[in-house]
Amino acid sequence: MGKLIWHEYSRYVSITASVYTVWAGYFGLLYRKFFWDFVNGIRRNPGGIQPAKQDAFFINIMVKAPVIQTISIILGLVILALEYPAPFMKGTAVHRSLITRVMLLVFQVFFAILFYQGTNGAIWSLVAIFGYTRAIMIGEVMKDAKDNKSKRERA
Amino acid sequence: MGESWFHREFLTPKRLAFNVFFYGSHLAFFVYGWHSQATNNKLAALNGLKFSVWTSRGAGLVLAYDGGLILLPMLRNIIRVIRPKLTWLFPADENIWFHRQVAYSMAFWAMIHTTAHYVNFINVERTQVRPQLALQIHYTQPGGITGHFMLLIMLLMYTTAHHKIRNQCFEAFWYTHHLAFFFMIGLYTHATGCFVRDSANPDYIPTFPFYSTEHCLGYESWRFIIWPGLIYFGERVYREIRARRATKLSKLLVHPSGAMELRINKPSFKYTAGQWLFIQVPDVSRWQWHPFTITSAPEDPYVSVHIRQVGDWTQALGERVGAGPSVVAALTQAAMKGGEKDEKDDTLFGSRGDFVELDPSSVNRSLPVTRIDGPYGAPAEDVFNVEIAVLVGAGIGVTPFASILKHIWYRQRSGHLGSLRRVEFFWICRDAPSFGWFQSLLQEVEAAQADPNFLRINIYLTQKIGDDMLWNIAVNDAGADYDPLTLLRSRTMFGRPDWKSIYGRMRQAIDSGQYLPGTNSELKTTVGTYFCGPTPIAKAIKEATVQNSSASVNFTFAKVSFEGREVQFCYADIYIGALLSFVSCTAATHLRPGAIYVFYVG
Repeated sequence: MGKLIWHEYSRYVSITASVYTVWAGYFGLLYRKFFWDFVNGIRRNPGGIQPAKQDAFFINIMVKAPVIQTISIILGLVILALEYPAPFMKGTAVHRSLITRVMLLVFQVFFAILFYQGTNGAIWSLVAIFGYTRAIMIGEVMKDAKDNKSKRERA
Repeated sequence: MGESWFHREFLTPKRLAFNVFFYGSHLAFFVYGWHSQATNNKLAALNGLKFSVWTSRGAGLVLAYDGGLILLPMLRNIIRVIRPKLTWLFPADENIWFHRQVAYSMAFWAMIHTTAHYVNFINVERTQVRPQLALQIHYTQPGGITGHFMLLIMLLMYTTAHHKIRNQCFEAFWYTHHLAFFFMIGLYTHATGCFVRDSANPDYIPTFPFYSTEHCLGYESWRFIIWPGLIYFGERVYREIRARRATKLSKLLVHPSGAMELRINKPSFKYTAGQWLFIQVPDVSRWQWHPFTITSAPEDPYVSVHIRQVGDWTQALGERVGAGPSVVAALTQAAMKGGEKDEKDDTLFGSRGDFVELDPSSVNRSLPVTRIDGPYGAPAEDVFNVEIAVLVGAGIGVTPFASILKHIWYRQRSGHLGSLRRVEFFWICRDAPSFGWFQSLLQEVEAAQADPNFLRINIYLTQKIGDDMLWNIAVNDAGADYDPLTLLRSRTMFGRPDWKSIYGRMRQAIDSGQYLPGTNSELKTTVGTYFCGPTPIAKAIKEATVQNSSASVNFTFAKVSFEGREVQFCYADIYIGALLSFVSCTAATHLRPGAIYVFYVG
């Protein structure tokens, strides 16, 4: 009973996950760590994990230069602009596209899962992806989609 | 609304006091948590982590405090008992508002605490102050595991509790919110496993609580905050037991307006006028409890609730008892015809047809098993302590007055009115017809009045009136004994009541001795106002009462405010910030579980 509108619910999850990811990305700039460094790494005392040689690529883009973290922050902000929505997003075709959200969130998961602080943001984004996918599966359409039509179409 | 955020939060004495105490105590716990970590020589090794560990300990203590507070406003039965004694302390019935404030605070401090721990663990790994990796602390130790789980649960609980989601699918909120059980378990066990210690490895002991307090130096906050959780759990168990006591749905009446009246016999159920209850019909939904205002008086031999078929649960209930929408529509049509005929026949009372009792045998199914839980909400007994009671119900807020008016009527009949001498009843509604069942109750009460001055009914219709209706009223109203809209002797007024002039005139009439014969201006007269409805009207009335209070007449004001949730109600902007938002004004009594139609006379 009761009818949950999945994309409206997923919006809140997506916003929460993205805010978390932006915040995590920011701390990822300050405390840089490759999440999966333990896989082949060895523990040093002191010093913690020393990543394996074959992971040098990931160390380069996360520890030496925080590329992934920066991408995560920007991507999170883009998602927030889309979800909230920012004034310039309102009424655009992208704003009412659910599949765009799923794609962006998939990327968010992909990037966030790589660095130490991003895990929860990634998991939460997965919840949002699940919700949006469900919305697409049952054929939900964004309510203000009709407001998004051009003036000529509306008339 | 209207006033600025600053004005609302800081210039209202009660709210200011709350803010100072609530946020002040949070800050105090944070400072204490920080300080006692930073200055603890035993924890010198951990203090090597500097700010992050001080912050995480401080925020952790604040979160424990919030975890202890969050369930307090949900102890419904205990609150029902203690609140009338502590009206000065509790701002009306804002228990769910308080629940939300604690939740917001919890989200904020969880952010601080988690962020700090992410820094802690990475530094633990780097310095090897404990021989562990950051991810081992995160994902293999109790603190880390419960923490991440609590965050995930919070994500689900907070997002489904958004008022928009609660309105469109209450079940999603209701069931998800029961994750609180696992959240609380996570909270109480979060610091287990000797997390804060002065040794590199935990110091376990074989007996309860399985860690030695010599080396495990946490705040042991769970020992304090587990009690509200246990009490809440006990209360839920008690509610379940109480709900299972013998209950029988004895009668089901369908009123022409479409409202179903459930008359329930439950000898163990004791209540007073103006309270509400939860109802469950397992045939319709196995787990759901739905709140309704009690519409019978305590003197009645049954407990009744009036239910309009406006939501999915109520409609399913209608189908189950054989009074589905089609049946009700047919009834309503017949009733409308009946109403016209009645008027032509010029019977003593015009009425819009009588209610129909559903005969179980005709639908081939017996009446469903029904369970009730309650009562909740504070009683309205102090109506009998004032000389003049002004009862104001606006929109859906009129429902509690059904019981109160009936109760007054019973007391009037038996001559136990206390100091009550007169009752002014105001009913402000957008469109009267949707409250047909209430109207018939008013008819009964009005007809039973021997003293024409005891009860005065004032009905205000605020809806815009079309030309047709206007002429209709004009034609039918002139010279008729009964008001054409409500079929009451009292005339319906149109537009919004002007409270200042109403109270002004009342004070003049009291002062001159016209209002209450036999009183003179030396005696102090107390006029108690009881209001249930949206906040702006409450404010207007309160202002009028304050303005008109004088040495001889004391106007008091009590907001019988309510919180609940029903898609079909109106007040969308009024209740922003309250637990629910209403969408249309027309539905009568049906609200949903958990969200709670709290009703309270202060």
